[in-house]
Amino acid sequence: MPNPLETVLHHSEPIDPTLWEWLSLKIDDVLGLHSSAMVFILGAVTVLFPVVVMLLVWRRHRITRHD
Amino acid sequence: MFYGWYIIAALFFATFLSIGARQGFGVFVKTWEEDWAVSTAAISFAAAIGTLVNGFSQPVFGWLTDKFGGRPVLLASFFVTGLATAGVATISSVLGLMVLYGFIISFSSGGIGFQTTGVIVARWFEKKRGVAMAVLVSGGSVGGLVFVPFLSYLLIEVGWQTAWIITGLIALLIGIPLLLIVVKSKPDDIGLTIDGVDPNSEEGLLGSTDAVGPKFVDKWFAALSSRPIWQLSFGYFVCGITTTSIAVHFVRWANSEDITTGTAALAFGLLSGINAVGVLVVGLLSDRFQRKNLLGGVYLVRGLAFLTLIFLPGDIALWAFAVIGGMSWLATVPLTASLTADVYGVRNLGMLFGLANMSHAFGGALAVFLFGWAFTNWGSYNVPFVVGAITLLAAGVVCLSIREKTNSVRFTRINQSNELDSGSVTAGAS
Repeated sequence: MPNPLETVLHHSEPIDPTLWEWLSLKIDDVLGLHSSAMVFILGAVTVLFPVVVMLLVWRRHRITRHD
Repeated sequence: MFYGWYIIAALFFATFLSIGARQGFGVFVKTWEEDWAVSTAAISFAAAIGTLVNGFSQPVFGWLTDKFGGRPVLLASFFVTGLATAGVATISSVLGLMVLYGFIISFSSGGIGFQTTGVIVARWFEKKRGVAMAVLVSGGSVGGLVFVPFLSYLLIEVGWQTAWIITGLIALLIGIPLLLIVVKSKPDDIGLTIDGVDPNSEEGLLGSTDAVGPKFVDKWFAALSSRPIWQLSFGYFVCGITTTSIAVHFVRWANSEDITTGTAALAFGLLSGINAVGVLVVGLLSDRFQRKNLLGGVYLVRGLAFLTLIFLPGDIALWAFAVIGGMSWLATVPLTASLTADVYGVRNLGMLFGLANMSHAFGGALAVFLFGWAFTNWGSYNVPFVVGAITLLAAGVVCLSIREKTNSVRFTRINQSNELDSGSVTAGAS
């Protein structure tokens, strides 16, 4: 029987661990960054996006209140 | 800028985090195997339970969304999922993983699915519903591209327990405030109208902000006696059959054609990248043309991709499938959700789309089993691929036969406005 974990990238199924291991090696080869740098960059992308959205909405509320 | 786009941005993040974290499960498997001294099969069992529980949860959350609105369902689901995600750090056995991931997280994250977020989008957008849904869906693709690597590098840097705690904290400390501040279930909640139409404008006075279509239903089960919901669900069932089976069997098929795992993985990566672009293009087109034509076209294009696997040599078929299949991979989601909302209205959209999602999950589970059975017994994927192509052809024809112009509020309102211009219909009547 096929391994249920080998379901990849459609909707919300877990990524295939073997596929991911290969992909992560390729990413390391191409970018050549230390894993801590990757954590910082990807973490910043993950955190900054919602923070910016919240700030924009807060600014919009402020402008609307003043009007 | 219309406030609905801020809502899309917040829901994009919710989808990004939810799908990114679920896909990221696969990153931890080898570590758990070593730490707990268990087999891949045991961990796979927890994941399989999670897939089924998540499928069953979708109509439940769809019904709750219809009853209480998207915002409370989304917030409650995010809170439970975030808490349980952080709690994974305390697990020390597969049994714990089954309970926490297989049941609790997989069930609660159903409330962050498209039957909840899609309903919120459908209540905020009508004219640009297709592109708004497409942006929402693309959050899942971006989640796979950004959050899965993030989890992988976190695992290297801080270990799996801390990685899960950080994921839970992102949901609790960033996701929940974002949803609390930004997301409203419907435009009325803050004195706005759908699409941001000025209620005093000509369009607003014509009653377009609360238009009613010919098949709008008060109770969800009333929709089951009409054809479009069965046509759409059949298409979505076939979507489940053909995407999940390929996701599971693509690499194995490539190996059977003497193609390496690495090359197959690269082709599947290309497919994923193309689908992120394809879904946005289809979303844009769907606001200009009949959605059923695009949906039917998407199934036929995917059917063509299946034919390449049967008739072309393995190495050419691999890349042809990645390019042609990639254009259709996720594009069915915004089209099906938008069309369901156009035909039946948004009052019962959560339940109806939740049922469609469940049929997708069941189609996928069935196909994974049958494709595996066929390969084990016949040593080839040719018969399953032929079956896939035939079901896609059928799905394409069925979706093309949907009578959108007479059933969708997009077209019935246009007709109504035309008649209104000639003075034969009273404003707001439908």
